[in-house]
Amino acid sequence: MFLALREMHRAKVRFGLLIVAIALLVFLILFQQSLQNGLLTSFVGGIRNQSAPVLVYSTDGQRFIQGSIITPDLEAEVRASGAVDEVSRIGQGTFTVAAGAETFDTSIVGYESLGAPERLSAGRAPNAPGEAIGADADIDQGFAIGDVVTVIPGGATLTIVGVATDVQLNAGPTLFVDYATYLEVVASVNPDAQTALPSVLGVSPAPGFSAADTTAALNALSPDLDALIRAEAADLAPGVDQIRQSFQIIFALYAIVVPCVTGLFFLIITFQKAAALTLLRALGAPARRLVSSLLFQAVLIVGGGYALGTALYYPVSQQRLGGIALRFETASVLGWAIALMVLGVGSSLIAARRVLRIDPVDATTGVGQ
Amino acid sequence: MNTADDPTQNHQTATAEQALVLDDVRKVYRMGDGHEVVALDRARLSVGSDEIVALVGPSGSGKTTLCSIAGGILSATSGRVIVGGRDITDYSERQLTAFRQDMVGFVFQSVNLVPFLTARENLLVVDEMGKRTGAAARRRADQLLDELGLGDRARNLPSQLSGGQRQRVAIGRALMNEPELVLFDEPTSALDTQLGEQVMEIIRTEMKSRQTAAIVVTHDERITQYCDRTVHITDGVLEA
Ligand SMILES: Nc1ncnc2c1ncn2[C@@H]1O[C@H](COP(=O)(O)OP(=O)(O)O)[C@@H](O)[C@H]1O
Ligand SMILES: [Mg+2]
Repeated sequence: MFLALREMHRAKVRFGLLIVAIALLVFLILFQQSLQNGLLTSFVGGIRNQSAPVLVYSTDGQRFIQGSIITPDLEAEVRASGAVDEVSRIGQGTFTVAAGAETFDTSIVGYESLGAPERLSAGRAPNAPGEAIGADADIDQGFAIGDVVTVIPGGATLTIVGVATDVQLNAGPTLFVDYATYLEVVASVNPDAQTALPSVLGVSPAPGFSAADTTAALNALSPDLDALIRAEAADLAPGVDQIRQSFQIIFALYAIVVPCVTGLFFLIITFQKAAALTLLRALGAPARRLVSSLLFQAVLIVGGGYALGTALYYPVSQQRLGGIALRFETASVLGWAIALMVLGVGSSLIAARRVLRIDPVDATTGVGQ
Repeated sequence: MNTADDPTQNHQTATAEQALVLDDVRKVYRMGDGHEVVALDRARLSVGSDEIVALVGPSGSGKTTLCSIAGGILSATSGRVIVGGRDITDYSERQLTAFRQDMVGFVFQSVNLVPFLTARENLLVVDEMGKRTGAAARRRADQLLDELGLGDRARNLPSQLSGGQRQRVAIGRALMNEPELVLFDEPTSALDTQLGEQVMEIIRTEMKSRQTAAIVVTHDERITQYCDRTVHITDGVLEA
């Protein structure tokens, strides 16, 4: 490693620039990973982190809670199926809500038993009409515990008594209320409407049934029912797949750019020092020594770039971006570390091949300088 | 036993004191168009274990080819090559690499130093790429640099050294592995007459103090006075 370290020491700027370039790419990758996860959580966190293991939609709702309507007939079928234990009506709508000095398009979810956030991060669950659970992400907008918000028009008020983490829907403020309060809110906005029907049903599997058994049994019951396990319901919600695919294209591009940058760099410096490498081979340096020296540099460069990129990413990952809360994604950091190490070091194998092809006899004539 | 009748036995004992024996060595380069160039033809040469031989001949006469074969960089087309008693004729690539590392020192015609290593590191790299003796190598490098008058230049990069200094570093580098044979390919061609004579003086002193054999390639007859014996080469053919 003598040779590798001495060379890097003598060409600090060149190797430093490569480390910085890789660090910036790593920063962008990790930042976008946080952005993707934050974005998805803000769209479907309220589904992922609610308490019903299975959600039953109407098929024509196309897996969009607000577009789904459970008629009394369908509800009766579910209750009589034998595949369910607890059944909870869940209603959801988007309302204009005044909080603080502003108004927000706010998702309000009404639940009977299942369908509330699984865990609260502060406060308590509602136990009286007009009480609501808010989302952590909305606290600063006037949805903190103790805040009173007003649904417009109609003027129904809701008091926040608890908050939960990662429970937003549709990337906006989100409130969870008991089902009776939900019906009152709907009526206050539109006094002439009939009693609202539930959007979906939250159910728990009957004893002896897994969540998958229950969804299979319910889906077999009627083509109008679309039962989904909680995680599926989140993943299959409209838009989620498109978001994932868009980011996957971006990530794939990075996965190409990083090895291109490192591969080209090492190829160029290998060409530039071809004369020195040829000399060393002529002096009796085994080719594999020179190759391991090159790979050692590649590991140092990718590792150094990765560490620097992660250091840049950390403070940014603690921020909020618009309505989206970013996180330090430890799993992504580790996953990308392995992927980029493999890609970066792998790409330097092209340069290594070039080293293996050096003919020491060229040192006697000066070819390759 | 009747060992005298065994020609191989005879050969081994005869070559034990020789740093180099070339026996009927021929080197033919095959060009892309099928055309052949005979660079070395029926070369027979013995170099004693502490002998300095000047190899003189015009450009293209086969001097570099001979050194490359003697140094295990190039394989002969036919004939036998024995260096320090080791018959390297049939060595594999890998064996030749190890042989170069252990047995020979080189000062090449053109590139001799690694540009991103200091003078001292250019000596140490020989050990680093080979045996890795560490402290012993550092002592040897410092001693060689002192002998070559480069004690205060040890930390300089090649770009910070003059031509004569660079050539002295290359000589030190060639001696790092305590070789049996050192091959100097036109060591003075890039230097003016005075510097060239200084470098030859140093080569002679270093070789004689170590009792190490050397071949010094040159096309300058004046250089030959620093050598024990002169061998001429013309069109790949040696003549004493
Ligand atoms: N790699 C090679 N391929 C083809 N011909 C070569 C090669 N190396 C040397 N030769 C030829 O072999 C002859 C001897 O070359 P060389 O040993 O370099 O001579 P010198 O060192 O005396 O100038 C020349 O005719 C040269 O053109
Ligand atoms: Mg030559």
